[in-house]
Amino acid sequence: MAYAYLFKYIIIGDTGVGKSCLLLQFTDKRFQPVHDLTIGVEFGARMITIDGKQIKLQIWDTAGQESFRSITRSYYRGAAGALLVYDITRRDTFNHLTTWLEDARQHSNSNMVIMLIGNKSDLESRREVKKEEGEAFAREHGLIFMETSAKTASNVEEAFINTAKEIYEKIQEGVFDINNEANGIKIGPQHAATNSTLTGGQGGQQAGGGCC
Amino acid sequence: MNFFRGVIGGQQAGAQPSGVETIQKLCDRVASSTLLEDRRDAVRALKSLSKKYRMEVGTQAMDHLIRILQTDSSDSEILGYALDTLYNIICSDEEEEQDESEDAAPVKSKNVAAPEDTQRRQEDDIGAQFSERFIQEPENVTLLLTMLEEFDFHVRWPGVKLLTALLKCQCAQVQGIILVSPMGVSRLMDLLADSREVIRNDGLLLLQQLTKGNAAIQKIVAFENAFERLLDIITEEGTSDGGIVVEDCLLLLLNLLKNNSSNQNFFKEGSYIQRMKPWFEVGDDNSGWSAQKVTNLHLMLQLVRVMVSPVNSPGATASCQKAMFQCGLLQQLCTILMATGVPADILTETINTVSEVIRGSQVNQDYFASVNAPSNPPRPAIVVLLMSMVNERQPFVLRCAVLYCFQCFLYKNQKGQGEIVATLLPSTIDANSISAGQLLCGGLFSADSLSNWCAAVALGHALQDNLTQKEQLLRVQLATSLGKPPVSLLQQCTNILSQGDKISRRGSKVQTRVGLLMLLCTWMSNCPIAVTHFLHNQDNVPFLTAQISENLGEDERLVQGLCALLLGICIYYNDNSLENYTKEKLKQLIEKRIGKENFVEKLGFITKHELYSRAAQKPQPAFSAPEHMLFDHEFTKLVKELEGVITKAVHKSSEEEKKEEEVKKTLEQHDSIVTQYKELIREQDAQINELKEQMCTLTSQKDQMQNTITQQLSQIQQHKDQYNVLKLKLGKDSGQSDSGQVNGLQLEELTLLREELEELRKQHALLNTQLAERDTLIANLKAEGVQSPDGLTAAPENTELLKELESLRGQVQTQAAEISQLQRERQEVQTRTEALAAVSGEAADLTKVTELENRLSAQTAETNRLQEEVRSLTESRAAMEKERAAATSTATILQTEKSKLQQEVAESKKEQDDLLMLLADQDQKILSLKQRLKDLGETIEDEDDLDARDQFDDDDDEEEEDDE
Ligand SMILES: Nc1nc2c(ncn2[C@@H]2O[C@H](COP(=O)(O)OP(=O)(O)OP(=O)(O)O)[C@@H](O)[C@H]2O)c(=O)[nH]1
Ligand SMILES: [Mg+2]
Repeated sequence: MAYAYLFKYIIIGDTGVGKSCLLLQFTDKRFQPVHDLTIGVEFGARMITIDGKQIKLQIWDTAGQESFRSITRSYYRGAAGALLVYDITRRDTFNHLTTWLEDARQHSNSNMVIMLIGNKSDLESRREVKKEEGEAFAREHGLIFMETSAKTASNVEEAFINTAKEIYEKIQEGVFDINNEANGIKIGPQHAATNSTLTGGQGGQQAGGGCC
Repeated sequence: MNFFRGVIGGQQAGAQPSGVETIQKLCDRVASSTLLEDRRDAVRALKSLSKKYRMEVGTQAMDHLIRILQTDSSDSEILGYALDTLYNIICSDEEEEQDESEDAAPVKSKNVAAPEDTQRRQEDDIGAQFSERFIQEPENVTLLLTMLEEFDFHVRWPGVKLLTALLKCQCAQVQGIILVSPMGVSRLMDLLADSREVIRNDGLLLLQQLTKGNAAIQKIVAFENAFERLLDIITEEGTSDGGIVVEDCLLLLLNLLKNNSSNQNFFKEGSYIQRMKPWFEVGDDNSGWSAQKVTNLHLMLQLVRVMVSPVNSPGATASCQKAMFQCGLLQQLCTILMATGVPADILTETINTVSEVIRGSQVNQDYFASVNAPSNPPRPAIVVLLMSMVNERQPFVLRCAVLYCFQCFLYKNQKGQGEIVATLLPSTIDANSISAGQLLCGGLFSADSLSNWCAAVALGHALQDNLTQKEQLLRVQLATSLGKPPVSLLQQCTNILSQGDKISRRGSKVQTRVGLLMLLCTWMSNCPIAVTHFLHNQDNVPFLTAQISENLGEDERLVQGLCALLLGICIYYNDNSLENYTKEKLKQLIEKRIGKENFVEKLGFITKHELYSRAAQKPQPAFSAPEHMLFDHEFTKLVKELEGVITKAVHKSSEEEKKEEEVKKTLEQHDSIVTQYKELIREQDAQINELKEQMCTLTSQKDQMQNTITQQLSQIQQHKDQYNVLKLKLGKDSGQSDSGQVNGLQLEELTLLREELEELRKQHALLNTQLAERDTLIANLKAEGVQSPDGLTAAPENTELLKELESLRGQVQTQAAEISQLQRERQEVQTRTEALAAVSGEAADLTKVTELENRLSAQTAETNRLQEEVRSLTESRAAMEKERAAATSTATILQTEKSKLQQEVAESKKEQDDLLMLLADQDQKILSLKQRLKDLGETIEDEDDLDARDQFDDDDDEEEEDDE
């Protein structure tokens, strides 16, 4: 119930790449074989632990269809993290990444952590985009990268958790303004009590963790 | 445009021609004046005319005003006037007050309206038309949105009002435009953060309009932290004690959550349910219930209900119910339930809310059953509520709410059903206090039809899907008038049905009979014993057939339909245990007395009733008037289920029936076969499960084994390393650096040893020669009296050799110990590996294990090989040791020889000494002889020689003296 931090995520990418499936696998540990087209946006949430701290993830799964693009844009600004998903068995979804990235960069706050995800890694036989290509794209644009399978759950946890770790590190570095909720980060009730010593105490805490 | 002319025509009588002209002039000035002040004055003048000449200003000035918004954006004053004017023409003030009460679309006409209404509608139409014109250009709305970012009060406030008015008139279109404009919704959300209350409050109204019926916008607003902000405002404003702002916040929250499962999930996940709990801390301190407070609380209760509505997905409702119990919200609501002085409609809504918070949730239902009213003696809340339900003086809606609460308490609650029925059973009845059962029976047979209906339906819910309770309730006997035997509850219900007219009742006769018939149908469906019970009384079937066949009036039709249903149940759930009333006989009776077609038609009256479908929609009993209280939601489900099967059952001929009977028999056979198969499947299932478990344990064993293997591998590696280190050490010990091969090593060592031996031998030989030399020396000495000091060095040399040997021996010993340690460890590893191999033998049939075994045996082989190596090493070590021992013995021999030699040396030394002594004596003798010869006057030829011998030590001095 009580959490140290709350992060807001969005999941973006072409229709049918498996955004909703990734979320479902992460929150419910289930897979949905039928494409249930997302209309607008759907919400999901889960608690994770990083560095011994409870972190609540609130995730907005957006619709990939072109017609919902303007609705999707309303979610960029308030998000701390974004999972940008393509389908490794459909090259066009990979080719559209640039457009997605431009859109995201234009409408989000500049610190938003973006995780690039090549989904459906279980369908190796139908692969159209090499892993190296994904890696190269990520490197070129300063993103974190991972191949996942919402079907087998491979790397799904890692994708969400690693994104959170990156955000967490940015907080430790003081890059994020945690007191501005518009950045998609909120300090939880666990922290709120020691809020006054937060900036000073944070580094010390971190050092303490390091020596243990 | 036709429309405008029409309206203008209608109003022209009121509008002065001078007004129109003035407006035209002002418009010209706005359009053409180059001076800002001029334009500003003109717009201000238009504003002042815009209420009185709404139509004219709107028609003539709108475009000019929009242009002002576009071009004069730097002057907030003129912007403010323009926005105000636009607001005035789009929305008349009077209308604004009215609109709140009416949720429907602004344009709505059905009845013939009164003159004022016509006027109002016309004005609404004007607003709609003007707003349509305004939004024809979507950029105008976007422009307005940017205007809202202007902090200046004179711009922001009228901007908010104008946008709200536009949303009211053209909701969907404006919503669409805002949705596609970047950050549109987000900007509007910022209004809630405005420190000026007017703007924040009007911002709330704007957001209410914005979120109406648009799920996409609702979600974005929620994403923009609306829940947090609204809950904060509610808290700041004093929750239920707060003013209209609280109400507006609550209305907006309702907009965001109603029928929006995504937002509901977000609300729950954001732990906002917990934040609702303090809202209901009103307790007994009802210092006053202002109208605003009642409204606020009402909306708060509605919000709770939205989260746990029976129409939500069961999983979502269940998790919210759980949260509401865990955070104490349910407990808080129950406190209100039992508090005094709570206004009736709040109490009613609280009961409805509690109902939905507990519905189908065992934990919450159990808690509810444990709640006591603070009366003396304390009574269960359920009993107190039921008292209200069967009390005619209580408001109708309250009684309905109690019924709903009772239904929700029993919904999917077998435990609760049992507890309620138990209060009626002879064995468990408690005569000292009022029980739920007593109240229900009292209600069932009271003179108030509403109580009859409610009690019947409530009792029916105690039997819903619960065969045990249906059978238990058959045991209930009622004492009637004195002297007469007790009568069963079931029979008493039919008695009231058949004698209905004899008792004078308040309310509707139909209501009572419908209630009782629904109870009987629920009770007897799926319960052959209850059917037999019913048929056992000879009067019951004739009563039903009479009711069905009679030609009764419109309002009796429903009763007829229900009687047909009950008779149908008597056929369908008949176990043929009563000879007079077998299925067959009952069907013949229908054919003879009623006619099949007629029967089916009467049966159809139920679902055709106008109130049926409304009751089928949702579980809550909500009726517009007491006389509409006829159908229970659960009962409509039963009808749906039975209508078809009963129709079929009645239509079947006896032959068909027989055939069916046969089919049934074969089916039964099939059934038994199926049962057998099922049994088999079950067994196999069990086996599978067992195997699965085995598999599990084996897998974990496998994992364990793998772990052990990994450990062993690392141990082996360690051993290898140690072994190598030993090898190295060994190599170094032998004076050689890194010789890899064992054999080579041994050879080298042997060579070394041999060399050593050789060395020793050489030393020995040397000693021997020395000895020999000494011998000769002694001999010489003996002969000449000359000594050799060389032999004395032999002793220290020997000691060194001994020391060296000693240390070598020590090293050999420690190495031997290390090797045996290694051997022991190896032994341990081997036994463990063997144990593992034994375990894996059990799982021989599993390929995984086989694979594992293979790896294990490979491992064992490796271990064996290593062991072998160690063994051979040990052997060679032993051999070396032998050699070393041999060397040692040689050394010992040498030592003895050496000591012998030493002894000899000592002896020879002694001899030497003796000889020296002898020599000295002889010298003395010679000297004395010389002296004597001198004394005798004899010359000595050898004097020099003798002197030199004599003064051995002072030899040099002598010589020096001689030189001088
Ligand atoms: N084999 C495989 N199929 C997947 C995987 N992830 C998703 N799918 C399938 O891909 C289809 C689309 O998945 P969704 O998650 O509904 O796609 P989406 O990205 O949410 O699509 P939109 O809602 O239209 O934007 C479904 O039929 C899924 O079963 C995966 O990792 N492996
Ligand atoms: Mg989707």
